[in-house]
Amino acid sequence: MPKCLVCYKWTLDEQDIKIKPEDLSLDSSRAKGKISDFDRNAVEEAALIVEKEGGAVEVLSYGTAAVKLSLKDVLSRGAEKAHWIADPSAENADAAVTANVLAAAIRKLGPYDLILCGEGSSDLFNQQTAPRLAALLGLPCLSFVQKLTVEGSTVTATRKLEDCQETATVSGPVVISVLSEINKPRIPTLKQVLGAAKKPNEEIKIADLGLKPEDLQPKALRQSVKGFVMQRRNVVYKESSAAENVAKLTASLASEGLC
Amino acid sequence: MAGIFIFSEDSALAKQLLTPALELKASLAQPITAITLSESDAEELAKLGADKVVVLTGGTWAEGFAEAIYSQISKAEGSILLVGGTLRGKHVAAYVAAKLNAGMTTDAKALKIANGKLLATRVLYAGLAVCEEEVALPAVATIRARTFLAPAPAPAAGVVETQSAEADSRITISEVIPTGDKGVDITAATKLVAVGRGFRRKEDLKLAEDLAGVLKAELACTRGIAEDEHWLPIERYIGISGQTVKPELYVAAGLSGQVQHMVGCRESKVIVAINTDERAPIFEAADYGIVGDMYEVLPLLTAALRK
Repeated sequence: MPKCLVCYKWTLDEQDIKIKPEDLSLDSSRAKGKISDFDRNAVEEAALIVEKEGGAVEVLSYGTAAVKLSLKDVLSRGAEKAHWIADPSAENADAAVTANVLAAAIRKLGPYDLILCGEGSSDLFNQQTAPRLAALLGLPCLSFVQKLTVEGSTVTATRKLEDCQETATVSGPVVISVLSEINKPRIPTLKQVLGAAKKPNEEIKIADLGLKPEDLQPKALRQSVKGFVMQRRNVVYKESSAAENVAKLTASLASEGLC
Repeated sequence: MAGIFIFSEDSALAKQLLTPALELKASLAQPITAITLSESDAEELAKLGADKVVVLTGGTWAEGFAEAIYSQISKAEGSILLVGGTLRGKHVAAYVAAKLNAGMTTDAKALKIANGKLLATRVLYAGLAVCEEEVALPAVATIRARTFLAPAPAPAAGVVETQSAEADSRITISEVIPTGDKGVDITAATKLVAVGRGFRRKEDLKLAEDLAGVLKAELACTRGIAEDEHWLPIERYIGISGQTVKPELYVAAGLSGQVQHMVGCRESKVIVAINTDERAPIFEAADYGIVGDMYEVLPLLTAALRK
């Protein structure tokens, strides 16, 4: 019966981020938070494994104070207990700092049989957390998994790579990163949402993790973040007659030498 | 700290990595070491500018060499590691970065040295924004295929040595099934017709196929069509975790133009959008668009182009 830990990130919903035309800076004032897309798949996968094999699902997140907003949502998705680290250092944390903090927390909370992450976060998409955790914790890592089977301590994963599907087997404990296609995350029922409020959550203070100051010092710093603007012609044909629109479009394509 | 290292298990990508490596060498005046798992790639990497090529033997699973690659870099106190940004490469790169306690930038588009740090251009929020990321040395960066062209041969070839390495034996690979539309590489297509959720049934894709036929284009799609509906093979899906394409013409039919999709096609020369919703973001990303029902527009367009 596997003891699972899912690491997840509370991110801004990129659909709500607007680019300010005057200076191309990002306006995230209206952006709501969400559990990073692929992390929802990781939570779902752990919940599915435990429904089948028994065991337990806990979740862990490192973020700014906003991470608290995620607890009800994540606990309504099948996790039994949430651990959270809210610290201002998360604001500028790079993948190295994130992995250092998560690994230290896992050493404190663990051991776990399966440590699951999404393939990458919706905001930074560094795609580093799972292999970094494996390196820091001395565990094997199965990345980019599209199908996962757990039987006793044997974990079998189908990984989807650019040119092949690869089946890999390992005896746990193991760190796993999942692809979005591995499952369809549940939409929590009202009962699950109400039940989430009764589930335990526990704060871990970053000071209690025994980290050195340099462990919290980001090595990669983002600078000059600017909205991406495409230079396009934006010619839109919207007459009521489809035939007329098509005639104009074909003329345009001909002028570009494309037909 | 000295040494620029490159690694890719993909032969073509390994050669492409030498181009940014040579640029960094010009700034840092440090030698380039190419680490490879392929004996047959070694000579060529040495000819194209690697001062030294280390062939690691002892296994075939690239990810299993992460520890061995780390020890090569740590022994030499290397300052930069460039890794081919395949999924296997990203796995290796992140592992090595953690062992080095180094920063890493993912899918770097341009690299240079500034203030003694590696400065890389990359995208954020699935392509909504671009930023420069400054990574202290030692630094790791992954670079996707075709970001750079392979360099011309160097005046003098580097040395090649072979070392046996201990691969990760904890993981057993039992089966490898090659995937893909054999012979169709949509990243090489000059024209693409991309389909999205506006198509109500799989059979309706015929409308897009017919258009692709007259345009001599290949069919591409959004993530939903490939991964949720399974109407087209995964290799045809364009987007942040799918393919990146730069065709001459990209016709987007019945897709809204979410940033996660557009990041994979926004370097196309001409983008055409067909969508019922005038406010769909695809029109902002398009050169030409038709607001209308694609079930009506596509057959008309196909017929018009056939003439």
